[in-house]
Amino acid sequence: MKKTFTVGWLYPDLMNIYGDRGNILTLLKRAEWRGFDAKLVELGRGTIKRMEEVDVFFFGGGQDREQALVYEDLLEFKQPPLEQAVNNGAMVLAVCGGYQLLGHYYQTAEGEKFPGIGMIDVRTEAGKKRFIGDVVIDTEIETLNPKTLVGFENHSGRTFLGPKARPLGKTRLGYGNNGSDGMEGCLQGTVLGTYLHGSLLPKNPHLADYLIRNALIRHGVDELSPLDDSVELAAHERILSRAQHH
Amino acid sequence: MIRKTAAVWAGKATGALSRITGRGGGTTLPGDVARAIDPRILTKLSQDLTKGSIVITGTNGKTTTARLITWLLEGAGYRVVSNRAGANLIFGATAAAINTAGPDGRLRADWGVFEIDEASLPKAVEEIRPKATLVLNLFRDQLDRYGELESIAKKIESALSALPDGSTAILNADDPRVAEIGLGLKKPPLWYGLDDTSVAARELPHAADARTCPKCGASLHFEAVYVGHDGVYECPNHDFARPKPKITAKHIKLEGFDRLTTDIDHTHIEIPLGGLYNTYNVLAAFAAARTLGLDATYISERLRAFRAAFGRQERLEFRGRHLNLVLSKNPAGFNETVRTAVDLAKGTCFLIGLNDRKADGTDVSWIWDVDFEHLKGKAKVVVPAGNRAHDMAVRLKYADVKAEPPETDPGAALDSLIKATSEGDTAHLLCTYTAMLDLRAELVRRGWAKPYWKT
Repeated sequence: MKKTFTVGWLYPDLMNIYGDRGNILTLLKRAEWRGFDAKLVELGRGTIKRMEEVDVFFFGGGQDREQALVYEDLLEFKQPPLEQAVNNGAMVLAVCGGYQLLGHYYQTAEGEKFPGIGMIDVRTEAGKKRFIGDVVIDTEIETLNPKTLVGFENHSGRTFLGPKARPLGKTRLGYGNNGSDGMEGCLQGTVLGTYLHGSLLPKNPHLADYLIRNALIRHGVDELSPLDDSVELAAHERILSRAQHH
Repeated sequence: MIRKTAAVWAGKATGALSRITGRGGGTTLPGDVARAIDPRILTKLSQDLTKGSIVITGTNGKTTTARLITWLLEGAGYRVVSNRAGANLIFGATAAAINTAGPDGRLRADWGVFEIDEASLPKAVEEIRPKATLVLNLFRDQLDRYGELESIAKKIESALSALPDGSTAILNADDPRVAEIGLGLKKPPLWYGLDDTSVAARELPHAADARTCPKCGASLHFEAVYVGHDGVYECPNHDFARPKPKITAKHIKLEGFDRLTTDIDHTHIEIPLGGLYNTYNVLAAFAAARTLGLDATYISERLRAFRAAFGRQERLEFRGRHLNLVLSKNPAGFNETVRTAVDLAKGTCFLIGLNDRKADGTDVSWIWDVDFEHLKGKAKVVVPAGNRAHDMAVRLKYADVKAEPPETDPGAALDSLIKATSEGDTAHLLCTYTAMLDLRAELVRRGWAKPYWKT
């Protein structure tokens, strides 16, 4: 019997602003191409159905109006099963708004604090200038090859890491978490937060495989069969070479 | 007065220079120069118009709709000034007025038809003081430049609230975000919308944006989905619903990219434009033309002979292939052109051009919201082109669509298309704005097309 691989998409209708579907498709296809039975569980408002089956959760960005609706739902429904799943080894990829909501809080320019669910040790404050553009980072994840991650950022939040979180990487191009400490994203246990979209995973197939592999270890899968990534890596390479001309 | 004339002269000289030096059609720079000399130049020139102006905004369809309205007004014998080449910032509108003005600095025209970028609308309305303002739709587009949909919606809202007395807002009732703006206006707008569920889908596409009730936050229930998130909707708690449109398009029949027929307000319309998205444009133009005083029977006759704007849907012959150039710049627009090309025009050969320059949007992540999966099994040839051809190649791979190698150079992309197709084939070139300009420039260079400012 085929082994299954399940992606859980948190709020596909509300938190889906920067081509987040690219991340979902990449996870599903790369599992499917390796013979897994790849499944998608859509986790809209008010449902926690099948959250315990999820291997990789994806939590994307949204607009302010939607983000407020999502926060309510997270507290009311999703937080306990999400924490449970993470404790059992499920991976989480959170981008932009999703990244902020998993942290301690988001503080507006007026000083008002919107609490997050505190799953990761990060806090975010509103900044004046919006950080928009291509990003290249050198990642801190030892097993990744190539070492670079490429993407596009568009955020005004400044995110700072606490002692429990470590950065996803150092920015070579772009602003990253806050534009001041040269760091981008965060890693804490099985949760990976970042401002990179573009979409992130299609042009970083090695990161997609990292998420898939680490989620499947608990099901006794230790190696993923190699795929031909020449098309993906050519797109990755294009951004790297453009970065050198900046 | 002297200042106005000086501004017009300086602007005109700039435009002439930019054409001579081959820097393009001089479609915006003259506006920059003239506005530097006289910041009120657009207001002054607008006051010269004998009839007044109409301003058109929205994410998709501005250029085609403006062109339709111009076509209708010109056919009725009016002199029209319009910013034709897709130069839709305030500078482009100014440049258009300058180019039409005489050497005495006076604008001798009856109507101004201005397509205006959503973000520039408040300024444009303030300066032009239009008779009518048309808002077509609000889709997700170029988040890098505009920010989120919400901030654009706020700008449109403030512009419409500040319309002068006697000015009409003409709004698409089928777009939830546009409807929300219109329902809050003091003076009721003129609503239009489609009314033919036979051309509707039941489910929202991946690219939909405004799906929640502005009052209670519940997900909107859609009875019909026409284009993107435009359709017939209501809040499940009855807090919000599509306003009842006064002008509707019924009995819609679509024939590929070639033709559409529909009955608008009891008038039969037949026009050589394809796709459901163009039905919206025709409906909007009809509503606008009626508001500006044109007769329904005349509109019907005149539309039969319409010609589309460059690159919006342009036919060119190229080495024995029939090229169909279609501007496709955001998820809602792209989904419609793909759907029209595959389902209605039975297209099998494609070139998909993706650029990430400022005018296209520097963030290309939106391509993941386009259902390129629709090409799977139907497209025989797909050439990914543009300076982000490699991103497009990845997108196609994950849609299980077999594609040629990515070609960033427009000449190489066209050569690849020739190599993969045969004489007599029709190829659909679906491209973002500057990718379209690049391909067209290459076709001009090879002698297969005219420069765009001459079309």
